[in-house]
Amino acid sequence: MSIAEPAPVTAPWVGRLTPGTRAALITLIAGAVTLLLAPYLPWITIWPDAWTLPATQWVDTGLGLVLNLIKPAARWFSWLMEFPMTWANFALVSTPWPLVIGVVTALGWYLGGASMAALGFLGLIFVLASGYWVESMNTLALVAVSVPLAVLTGGAIGILANEVPRVKSAVQAVLDIMQTVPTFAYLTPLLLLFGFGPVVGLIASAIYAAPPMARNVILGLERVEPEIKEAAMMSGGNRLQQLFLVEIPTARLQIMVGVNQCLMAALSMVIIAAVIGGFNDIGWEVLLTMRKAQFGQALLAGLVIVVFAVVIDRMSATLATDRRRFDARVTYGILGATVIVTALSLGFLPDPATLTLLDPVADSVDSSLGDFTAANGAALNTIKNGAMFYGLLPLRIGLDEAVLPFTWGFSWTPAMSAGLFAAAALIGAVMALRGNVVGGLVVLIGAGILETGVAQMPWPFVLIAVAALGWVASGWRLAVISVLLLSTILISGLWERALLSLYLSGAAVFACAVVGGAIGLLCAVSPLAWKIMRPISDMLQTIPLFVFLIPVLMFFQIGEFSAFLAICAYAIVPMIRYTRHGLVTTPDELIEAATSSGATEWQIMRDVRAPYAAPTILLGLNQTILYAFAMLVIAALIGTTGLGQSIYLALGQADVGLGVSSGAAMAILALVADRLVQGFAEERRKALGL
Amino acid sequence: MATPAPAAIECRNLWQVFGPDAESQLSAAMEQAGGDPDVAAGNLKEKGYIPAVRDANFEVMPGELFVIMGLSGSGKSTLIRCISHLLGATSGEIRIEGEDIVSASKKRLIELRRKKLGMVFQHFGLFPHMSVADNVGFPLKVQGVSRKERRQRAMEVISLVGLEGREDAFPRELSGGQRQRVGIARSLAVNPDIWFLDEPFSALDPLIRRQLQDEFLNIQATLKKSIVFITHDITEALKLADRIAIMRDGKIVQIGTPAEIVLNPADDYVREFSRDVAKGQHACVDSVMRPLDQKPDNMPDDPGLRPGMTLDAALAACMQCYEPVPVHDENGVLTGIVHPADLVAALQVETK
Repeated sequence: MSIAEPAPVTAPWVGRLTPGTRAALITLIAGAVTLLLAPYLPWITIWPDAWTLPATQWVDTGLGLVLNLIKPAARWFSWLMEFPMTWANFALVSTPWPLVIGVVTALGWYLGGASMAALGFLGLIFVLASGYWVESMNTLALVAVSVPLAVLTGGAIGILANEVPRVKSAVQAVLDIMQTVPTFAYLTPLLLLFGFGPVVGLIASAIYAAPPMARNVILGLERVEPEIKEAAMMSGGNRLQQLFLVEIPTARLQIMVGVNQCLMAALSMVIIAAVIGGFNDIGWEVLLTMRKAQFGQALLAGLVIVVFAVVIDRMSATLATDRRRFDARVTYGILGATVIVTALSLGFLPDPATLTLLDPVADSVDSSLGDFTAANGAALNTIKNGAMFYGLLPLRIGLDEAVLPFTWGFSWTPAMSAGLFAAAALIGAVMALRGNVVGGLVVLIGAGILETGVAQMPWPFVLIAVAALGWVASGWRLAVISVLLLSTILISGLWERALLSLYLSGAAVFACAVVGGAIGLLCAVSPLAWKIMRPISDMLQTIPLFVFLIPVLMFFQIGEFSAFLAICAYAIVPMIRYTRHGLVTTPDELIEAATSSGATEWQIMRDVRAPYAAPTILLGLNQTILYAFAMLVIAALIGTTGLGQSIYLALGQADVGLGVSSGAAMAILALVADRLVQGFAEERRKALGL
Repeated sequence: MATPAPAAIECRNLWQVFGPDAESQLSAAMEQAGGDPDVAAGNLKEKGYIPAVRDANFEVMPGELFVIMGLSGSGKSTLIRCISHLLGATSGEIRIEGEDIVSASKKRLIELRRKKLGMVFQHFGLFPHMSVADNVGFPLKVQGVSRKERRQRAMEVISLVGLEGREDAFPRELSGGQRQRVGIARSLAVNPDIWFLDEPFSALDPLIRRQLQDEFLNIQATLKKSIVFITHDITEALKLADRIAIMRDGKIVQIGTPAEIVLNPADDYVREFSRDVAKGQHACVDSVMRPLDQKPDNMPDDPGLRPGMTLDAALAACMQCYEPVPVHDENGVLTGIVHPADLVAALQVETK
């Protein structure tokens, strides 16, 4: 048909650019301008001290006032909490260990039958044999008190948000923030409020564990079918009856998911809280042995933590399924046998603290590790240095400073910079000519970042780039909010440290995205690969953050590379999971339509599955980013620079101002990254009509 | 009406508008439109509001089975939720046995639901964590009725709906038809006077649906509740209803008996619905009967028509007749005449 299209209204060439192209172009120009001006205007690269507001001190003074005000109440609460803690501790530590093991086994049977009973029994036998029985029971006692606290508070918050719709969005925003503020950052103010001692760990873990509970309660109550709610109403129930007789029981599976997450979070935090010391628990044991470089023992203690995590996770997870009932007679039988065995053996029982059955194993781990590092030290060092010199360092301080005779064997010259940019411009031009203008521009921007280094990016460039990203991802609002939030970091003088954190987590996220994406893809195509990866992923997600530090320390000692590895090990899982999930859940109809059009397996993957999975994969990336930030702070224990280090230092010096502002800066980075990625995911989902 | 017997349910100028601050927006729109509901609804729509029910007026008589029919999105589910006060109406009057429930207190509303109202839901709305007996006994439980009494009453209604033996099963173990029987039993547990059914059979497959419709009619024949029944299925409406209200875009476009709906559709929309309906089964001879003053001098045939005969039966009787035939009532008194041509015309499936 040759019906004349109405002529376009003399569009200037700018008008025809897509938003993405325009944003990339603006960012590129901003980068080029700042790069050119940087030598003449030093304030572009380094935010001058004179412009810095003493925000950290203000926070310190302000919070100090508030904390002092509520200190009496806190101390009273702390005193009050001593009671259940002492009881729980007494109950767990002084109960003869066969009784504890028997009760856990019976509980395992009750919850999940033979497999759970075996898991509980073997797990606790391992703990007993490791010689860390008392330390473990101390940790468990803390969890036993903090979880009910967190479940009740979280549940109450969830119900409140459900009952009062006006506060719901506010509550959800607070929950978001609570989960992005790094765990260490809570500890400093809590330390001031409650004084040294296990109560801080208790409160911190309750605070950390309450949000997942609240979230799941909100979600569960929201998802109760409207007709069930209406049926309760039409049956003449008053609001309390509707809530407690119908809505909460109907939402119980989701609420139990909350209890499971709450347990895991509490355990993880109780162990992290060991860094403040003063309590003979298992986390402290790991820290102590790690510091003494007794890696065999550290590994053993770490495994004890993993055993606890797995037992608690798997057992509580059965609550969140419509579970089968198991024969109650077996439960009673196990309990009865336990009581008899305990009674008979009372007086002959060895003191669990003297049990060192696994010490030889630990020692042999130590000696073989020594042998291994002695034999392969050179290889390990090559790996480490290679990654540092050719990967992390250039990313951090840029090729112009990282390329030295000492590292790369030659010096970086301006000519090389020119060459880099020329190559990037060439690639960019080719991509632009083939239709991918945005991609071409991004290559150029990437070259610029590689030249300067992430940690030395000029701040105006960062702000403009983030604004551009925010604008493309979801519009002006996000752009403005992101810039405002980042500006608070800038003017409070934490910018350099923030960039250092950004660089390390960015590097880890990038590695996770590439490697995790590839593994996810592999798992999507090969069921066998997934069969192998699935338990590994499950395990990695169950292990408390802290434990990741042990193996990397064993092989690579303290340093940025170890931290990088620990972050990757923890943060890679969501990327794998979401990538696979997105790729395998493409609707059958789409696959059938593609197959009947004659597409090959690979074409289906590239043209049907991947685009359909894009929003899901982006969500995985989002999770990976949040995980990386969470781990970054823990990794400060083994040597990172940046905000994580500041938070850790502040804890040691009880510097509330520095601790809280650095924590806030960290949360801001995480929130901005979260919103940007969510924005893109949302945009993709809309584009697909999902 | 001459005798002011209080209607079981009475709705006057009932509106349900969705959107922020709907109440004042509605009254402003009504004022602006000079009291014309259609114009007001149009204005509200332009502003982005959703007038889901507009100016509904009807009453349901005691013991009457009143069906509200419409396509999805026509506002019928919203309307029944207004009457049962699951949604607060934006404006208008709803009276249940003469009592204004729009202004009723929360406490009174709970009281009403505990004694007078029962409701059945499209997707059953069963409580997944309760057994059949506990589901059915729930309305009694919230009133504080003892466990034993609850169980006893639950068993009564469970046997009424034919589910004896399944009382200790859980909803997930039941088929769709059985689940809806539980829903029906639960809504009858407190022996309510007024019974709301929101598309109760729509989620079931056709055979089960027909079976449940028949049982429902049997139950109603003994219990004589005042019923508001929602459906999107014209056949179901015609089969069950004493009277039908047809809704479109939130507006009730016609209220009438099944025969009136089929034979005298108020507009094209209603006509469209009744197009594929076998009219002969729903309309009676009296709807095409002419008065005695049109009686011709001589009527050769008398196939024995009665006013209450369906048109199908009448047509079968008149197969050989070409002249007008007489209609006699039960006592043999001549009450009118019928032209066979009128019968054929009435039964013509419209082909427009």
